[in-house]
Formats: sequence, C-alpha cells, structure tokens
Amino acid sequence: MWRRVLAWGAAALVGVGLGVASAWAALEFGRASFMERYGAWTHSRAAGSVGADPYTRAVIAREGLLALSAREALYFNLAEDSQGRPLSEACVYELSGPPLETRWWSVTLYARDHFLAQNGDHAAAIDATRIRYDGDGRWRARVAPVRGEAAHWLSSRNTHSGFSLTLRVYNPRREFRASAESLPVLTTLNCAGAAP
Amino acid sequence: MSGWSKYVWAALAIAVLSHLALINAVPNVLTGVAISRLGEAGVNQWHMAPRVTEASRTIVRPAPDFAYSVCAYDLARGPLRLRVADWDQYWSLSLYGANSDNFFVLDDREVRGDAEIILMRQGRAAPDHAEQVVQSPSSKGIALIRRLAPTLEAYNAAARVAADDVCAPFTNS
Repeated sequence: MWRRVLAWGAAALVGVGLGVASAWAALEFGRASFMERYGAWTHSRAAGSVGADPYTRAVIAREGLLALSAREALYFNLAEDSQGRPLSEACVYELSGPPLETRWWSVTLYARDHFLAQNGDHAAAIDATRIRYDGDGRWRARVAPVRGEAAHWLSSRNTHSGFSLTLRVYNPRREFRASAESLPVLTTLNCAGAAP
Repeated sequence: MSGWSKYVWAALAIAVLSHLALINAVPNVLTGVAISRLGEAGVNQWHMAPRVTEASRTIVRPAPDFAYSVCAYDLARGPLRLRVADWDQYWSLSLYGANSDNFFVLDDREVRGDAEIILMRQGRAAPDHAEQVVQSPSSKGIALIRRLAPTLEAYNAAARVAADDVCAPFTNS
C-alpha cells in the first residue's frame, strides 16, 4: 500500500519537475524558435498581439512586458554577433545602418537582466532625433566600454555577463521592410584577449 | 498497464500538463506583479514615472527616450475615463489586459489635440453619453502613455503636460 502511494507521489513529483524544467528551457533556450531572424536580429511580429501564441506571449512577458503590438511599433533584438557569439563588454563593436523607413527609431543597450546597465555614463541609447549621418548616408555608433572618438556611443562598461541591443521602430512606413540589409549591422572591431 | 509503465505514463502526462500550465501562467503572473507594483501608489490614477535611468527597475527593457505615465486600472467598480493631454511629438495610449496582451493603441496620428476614451469591462453595458468606448478583456490591467522625450528638457516639458492627463471613474454628469 505505502509502496504504491510513494510510487504515485514520485511520479507526480517527477512529472511536475519535468514540466517546470521543460517550460523554463523552452523560454530560456527555445525562444529563438518563436522568433523571426534578420541577420543576427530576432523579431516577433506577434509581440503584444492578442493573437500571440502562448510561447510568444510568455517570452515577451519575460523580456518585453508592455510591448506595443506590431500595428504601432516593431522590436528587434540582437544578442549575438555575426559569428553567433554572445555580445560581450570585452569587445568593441561598430553598429551602423542606413536611414530606416519609419517615423522614429532607437537602439538601446540592456544588461543581461533586461534593465539598463549600471554604467553611470548616460550612454544607454541612440535615437533618430539625435543621430548624424556620415557622407555615405549611413550612421555609425560605437558599442564598447569607452567612447573613444565616436560620434555616437552605446556603453557596455558594466555589463559583466553580456548584453543585448533592442531596435525600436515606431510607426514604420509602408515602405519599411525588415531584412538583414535594411536593419543596422553590428561589426566586431576587436576583443580583449583575442588573437590579433 | 502494469509494473512501472503506468507511473511513467502518469509522470509524462503530469509533465505535459504542468508545462502548458506554466507557459500560460507566466504572462498573467508577470502582468499581475506589474499591476501590483505600478498600483502601489494607487489604482485608477496616472502616475508619471521618473525619467528612465539605470536605476529604473519596475518594468523590463524600459526605453530612456520616453516619458511614461502609467495607470494600473481596476474596473470592478465601473468604467473609467482616460484622457491624454496633447504632446507635440509622438505619443500613444496603450492598454494591456491581465494576460499582457496589448489590446488597444491610440496615437497622435489618429487624434488632433487631447484624446479621451471610456474604458469598461468587456460584456458590460456601455454607459449613456459615452463616446469612444473601449472594452477591456479583464477587470484589471495597465494603461500606459508614451511621450517621446529623448532629452531632460523634453522630459520636463512632458511632465508639465502630463499633469492634465486623467484616469478616473467615469460619471455621466
């Protein structure tokens, strides 16, 4: 009798444990499968939507609660470089892009906990109202622990366990088409400790 | 079914059910936490958030370019009147249900001057004389105003404008 009770109890415990672990893994590691990819950027058109599937809704609630639906704004996230390596404060990157077919856009750098990094340098975001374009029609921003000579800078100074970037595209025009070419490109310039 | 197989199948069935329950619970739990935090200073009234800095820790991935005003609402006692004072750059009013869905957005492309809506619980009769009525799928939720204000000066100007916003019980008078 007791053996049977224990067996059912163990089955229930194992089942709940598996369910919790698989749900956590789905949100932590499987999130990319619920997203569209444009180069290294990930995007969910269903973010904030009443038609979002349960997994997309859960991912967005964890990482972008109070996101606007695609009718109003599009969100693109970048957590890896073009080689698939997590973004690191040990590296210096250049983010560059053409003008976007939208009313307003911004790029914000977030620490791994999804909040602004504790940098103390007020360099968490760049946006369309303050960006300057170079002679070739593209804007460029340095993503690094220090500004150097860069006109635009996103500080990764105290992002000790990695960071990510979010591109916000508000009131995109009809001409706006997300693609690896139309979205900003992140180039790794150098990494501390890397072989020359 | 005999031996250990029935326990294995039971464990797998419980795993699937608890997996689905958890995935579906995550948005409701996180939105509930947000409603509680944002409503600490009082529900059914606007609260303008301090300018977003690295010290902002209430909602994940805040945008430092916006001046946010938030109203944690509860429609249990009836409809609310939401008014957004005009702003000379981008602004929007967005509404979120208890499951985190953004079920309504209004922005400055659609409205000239101040905006006003009546927010009521889905399925209830609309009050008389109410013009733009929006139905919330849940009693509790979050109303959020975003005003584009990338600089401190713009934020301070938005704060002055936000003093005229209204989130309050609707009366027919």
